[in-house]
Amino acid sequence: LAEILNLCDSQQLSFVMNYVSPRLKKDPFRTLPNELCLRILSFVDDPRTLARASQVSKGWHSLLSDDLTWKNLCESRRFVLSSEVETFGRTTHNHHHDPSLFQPVASRQFMEIGPQTATAGASNLAPPKQPKRPAPPSSYRSHFKQRYMVETAWKTGGKLVAKHTMSDHGVVTSLHLTPDYIIIALDNAKIHVFDAEGNWLRPLTGHEMGVWAIVPWGDTLVSGGCDREVKVWDMSTGECKKTLHGHTSTVRCLKMSDHKTAISGSRDTTLRIWDIEQGVCLGILNGHQASVRCLEIHGDLIVSGSYDATAIVWSISKRVKLRTLNGHVSQIYAIAFDGKKIATGSLDTTVRIWDPHTGACLSVFQGHTSLVGQLQMRGNTLVTGGSDGSVRVWSLEQSALEKPNTACVHRLAAHDNSVTSLQFDEVRIVSGGSDGKVRVWDLRTGAPVRELSTLADAVWRIGFEQEKAVILASRGGTTMMEVYSFSPPPEAL
Amino acid sequence: MATPSTQATVKLQSNDNVVIEVERAIAERSVLIKNMLEDCGEVTDAIPISNVNESILRKVIEWCEHHKNDPVAAENENDDSRKKTTDIDEWDQKFMNVDQEMLFEIILAANFLDIKPLLDTGCKTVANMIKGKSPEEIRKLFNIQNDFTPEEEEQIRRENEWAEDR
Repeated sequence: LAEILNLCDSQQLSFVMNYVSPRLKKDPFRTLPNELCLRILSFVDDPRTLARASQVSKGWHSLLSDDLTWKNLCESRRFVLSSEVETFGRTTHNHHHDPSLFQPVASRQFMEIGPQTATAGASNLAPPKQPKRPAPPSSYRSHFKQRYMVETAWKTGGKLVAKHTMSDHGVVTSLHLTPDYIIIALDNAKIHVFDAEGNWLRPLTGHEMGVWAIVPWGDTLVSGGCDREVKVWDMSTGECKKTLHGHTSTVRCLKMSDHKTAISGSRDTTLRIWDIEQGVCLGILNGHQASVRCLEIHGDLIVSGSYDATAIVWSISKRVKLRTLNGHVSQIYAIAFDGKKIATGSLDTTVRIWDPHTGACLSVFQGHTSLVGQLQMRGNTLVTGGSDGSVRVWSLEQSALEKPNTACVHRLAAHDNSVTSLQFDEVRIVSGGSDGKVRVWDLRTGAPVRELSTLADAVWRIGFEQEKAVILASRGGTTMMEVYSFSPPPEAL
Repeated sequence: MATPSTQATVKLQSNDNVVIEVERAIAERSVLIKNMLEDCGEVTDAIPISNVNESILRKVIEWCEHHKNDPVAAENENDDSRKKTTDIDEWDQKFMNVDQEMLFEIILAANFLDIKPLLDTGCKTVANMIKGKSPEEIRKLFNIQNDFTPEEEEQIRRENEWAEDR
């Protein structure tokens, strides 16, 4: 054969090549059994390639429709089905997309909330509630597609779907996102309730001074502040259902343990357990020597952090102090508690990890150079934000607790000034700072992803869910709320 | 130092009846052969490898020889490192630089003989061939007929537009 080829001229050789080379090519997905084809596809960690491959031929298209490939891809990207998403008492995410979200943004922009609109709004009937919805994705492929589009929007897209300016500017003290509502509280006694898409619904009017703590539960909201009162509201009507008296100084923190039990912490050094249906105080928890700044609940346990530099573990049912966590040398500002571990952030610049059942301090994390005022814990990950402007990601693995100098996984130079607000989920961290920036970070790599919104004077609060982010900031002396949506347009799904 | 079992050799017989003698340790890269040897103890007869011809079998043995000292990979299917498509070492890349027919036969043989690292190297090689290519480029690469009607093609293109958007 070689001799024959040697006799050929280049034209003949090129004929031979054109004749032979397609015969050396073979469709792997026709040659190999399905399981091996899928194994090959499992190495393609790139949706674009998979999408293109499905356009090659009918055979490839049907193979690429196999959900196993997309399941693998979902897993490699950690796109858990929403039913599996841990929600840490916040909200459950839903996949339904309200078509009204995608109407031109202008119609709902620049809505002003002030005394005028507030009264006008209050006389309006509440809009009919959206039916409760989640249409689960029908396949891993569609799930992947949906999540991929959301992730892409988080990186580079997103749409401002609602924007409100408050004529009566004040400092935003609290922000809560629930499946039905966005609720904000301000230091000027105002509470505003919006629907989940950011349409303003109504004010909750009644507090006489700054509102410093709110906690939602379904349609119920419990609030407290400088007027020392704890108020119970029906957010669907705006009605104040109960006003609870007892605290002798500002109510600084609030949590609910079930639909009728609220726990408040106050500058009067006590915590109170309330039956909000009956409107009675079930118990007063005495033990702190100074203002109760923060509290968390898990099961029957409350942990409270105080300006007396201690944290205390209490039993709700027994209404007694179980143990005191001693170690910090100055005020505790932030606390997280998941039933297994307690994390506290303090003015002494350290973060301490405690065992709630023994009261033992498991570890002391050092690194922040100023007050640690923001803190969230999720599984074995702790993220903290400080007045030093940095955000730190810590590991809570046993080895990290034993060697706390190895615990800091990422140190993000997040803001030029204090970190005022912080939240993270399995994918990202979003932080807001008094430098006016909202920044998004990759949780795993610690890399900056983007800045959200435009530069403000100061960011008071941020909150986000899988497909939306809410920003409360001050711009030109005015307090503003912005809602960004990362949902794909419904026609794309 | 070599243990007695690594000095022993085994005979493998391809489906075109060629007997190849190899070190036992090399042959045992194949989980199929390893299990067989463990079950049968001493095997003096040639082991028939019914699905693999001589040239492919020699190729596979060449791979096993090169990789005989590799640590046995952990049986963790979901290991992140398994997923990294690009990390094929240089020797393996050269080894896999063969015509498509042979590449696919190596994959089939690795699957049959249960040599996971070789199977994955082969699959990764094919995955890397596909990666980043347009449908037309893939068709050319593997000589695949586009059997869609223009309408179907347009519809599928639209279905997949989302992944192009970055």
